[in-house]
Amino acid sequence: MDNKIKSTSISYVKMILLSVVITGATGVLFYFLTSRYVISQAEKNIQNLLLSHRGIHMYIQRIMHPALYRYKGEGEINEDFYSPELFSSSFAVRNQHNFYNEARSKAGLEQMYYKMAAKNPRNPVNKSDALEDKLIDMFNENPNCKKYREVVTIDGQKYLYLAMPFLKTGKACLKCHGSREIAPIQLQDRYPGQGGFNDLVGNIRAIESIRAPLAHEYYTVYVISGALLCGVLFIMMLFFFNRRLKDTVMVRTKELEEENKERKHAEAEVRKLNEDLEHRVEDRTAQLNAANKELDAFAYSVSHDLRAPLRGIDGFSLALLEDFGDSLDDTGKDYLNRVRNGCVRMGLLIDDMLKMSRLTRSEINKEELDMSQMARKLLEGFIFSEPDRKVEIDIQDDVRGFGDSILIQNVLENLLGNAWKFTGKKDAAKISFGIVPESEPVTYFVADNGAGFNMEYAQKLFSAFQRLHSPGEFQGSGIGLASVQRIIHRHGGKIWAQSEEQKGATFYFTLA
Amino acid sequence: MNKKKIILLVEDNPDDEALTIRALKKNNILNEVIVARDGAEAIELLFGETKEGTSPFLPELILLDLNLPKISGLEVLKRIRSNDKTRMLPVVILTTSNEDRDRMESYELGVNSYIRKPVDFGQFSESILQVGVYWLILNEGPPH
Repeated sequence: MDNKIKSTSISYVKMILLSVVITGATGVLFYFLTSRYVISQAEKNIQNLLLSHRGIHMYIQRIMHPALYRYKGEGEINEDFYSPELFSSSFAVRNQHNFYNEARSKAGLEQMYYKMAAKNPRNPVNKSDALEDKLIDMFNENPNCKKYREVVTIDGQKYLYLAMPFLKTGKACLKCHGSREIAPIQLQDRYPGQGGFNDLVGNIRAIESIRAPLAHEYYTVYVISGALLCGVLFIMMLFFFNRRLKDTVMVRTKELEEENKERKHAEAEVRKLNEDLEHRVEDRTAQLNAANKELDAFAYSVSHDLRAPLRGIDGFSLALLEDFGDSLDDTGKDYLNRVRNGCVRMGLLIDDMLKMSRLTRSEINKEELDMSQMARKLLEGFIFSEPDRKVEIDIQDDVRGFGDSILIQNVLENLLGNAWKFTGKKDAAKISFGIVPESEPVTYFVADNGAGFNMEYAQKLFSAFQRLHSPGEFQGSGIGLASVQRIIHRHGGKIWAQSEEQKGATFYFTLA
Repeated sequence: MNKKKIILLVEDNPDDEALTIRALKKNNILNEVIVARDGAEAIELLFGETKEGTSPFLPELILLDLNLPKISGLEVLKRIRSNDKTRMLPVVILTTSNEDRDRMESYELGVNSYIRKPVDFGQFSESILQVGVYWLILNEGPPH
């Protein structure tokens, strides 16, 4: 985990270095390319300017000169007349350029330096400076060199400096530019000194020297290369962030995998715990089953071993009564009868106990039950056994439940049997069975208007062998409700009762 | 009543033995009663070699208790039913048990009747009378 982060950070350093290098290289490249483009554009502008100068030169030499010489020949103009304003194309171009620069200034543009530079000019204005001197010499020495081009910096401003030969002295030129003595007298008069004279054929007499400001163009260079560089930076940042995102995703994925592993581990532990629990449950179940079996065996032996002596006691008591009854007085006979009654009663108790133990041990097979039908049949049975009783019976239709049919039958038999039994002394007995409206979970009830019981003893109601009425009042072993409660509990339900003495009792139960 | 018709009573409890015999007598069932006090004794009586080399006796009716020492009543019943000589003998189980599985097994092994001994001697006596009258008088057994 830590190693991973470390190696990632190292690669970040590498990436940053690489991106600095790439940015620098592309910056230089863009600067180089755009400045070349800008300079070539500036050069084109200069060329345009020079071509328009050429036009002026041509106009003066080819149109004005023939016209002037014609006027001279016709005598319109004095033969001696000479004026540089009319005859010199260089004069015209220089002055035209001065006006051009003025116009540029007015338009807010920087002036453009232009000179027809010569080492020995007729007009001192055209005298070449030190650089121009050198360039004139260079062009003379290297006839193949047609152009000098350089970007120069003056006072921190960049300029494109361009120079090229302009006038190469021919034979015809010597008429005016040869030795002073053979030059026309007007020239000799007008230009004292040696300026513009003594030229040699083939010599480059003048160069065009021009300097165009590049400040504006360099703005373009900066803007374009800056924009391009921004683009590159943007792309690299995208790349960089993509890389970072990838790393983050990788780290997060690792974390998730780790979490997943932990979760799986936890799941495995839970599963193991569950298995342990299941094992324990199985063990307990086995123990319970064993305990149940023992109980079973116990109940079996109780039924045999307790009943046999009872039968003996009863049998021999009767034998005593029958065989030796004559020697017993009434009290003795009564005692023996009481012994016999006790035996019979104990036999019934043992039977009930066995029945209850059997009910609570048997397997539960749940199914859909029609409890209305069940209750109706049971009550029909009671009515059949005691046809003289007048009992009002109210059984709700379609009362359904889900449980073991034999056990639930037993529950209803006990509850309805109790209702039947405890209404025995009522003139207008009433027994009802049904579901409490809108109860959740579904709550069944068996209600009667019989003897009822005191709610103080409600807790004893469901204990085995507990009776709330004396045998003289009502018969019973006190096992019925205990069995009912066990059956209801085995179904996962609850049972409770509500009563008032002499007003009846209602038993409620649920099955889940 | 035919005195040759012997009743074999297999009963380990001396009280029950006495009560059964008393009930038989009270109901005027005067057949000879031979008592076996456990399963082994019953088997010895039915299938054992006699000293004189004569064949063992054949009772007319067997009253068999289930819960017996040594060999259980059900085992005795099984032996009776698997022996050609005795397989048609009427066997009535007379027991305290009312367990479903005991009744089930008894009938599966081919018992003729299953009576649960009531605690009340009056009822017990009545049961013995019914059994005696039915199996010894009313019922026609298979031809010998």
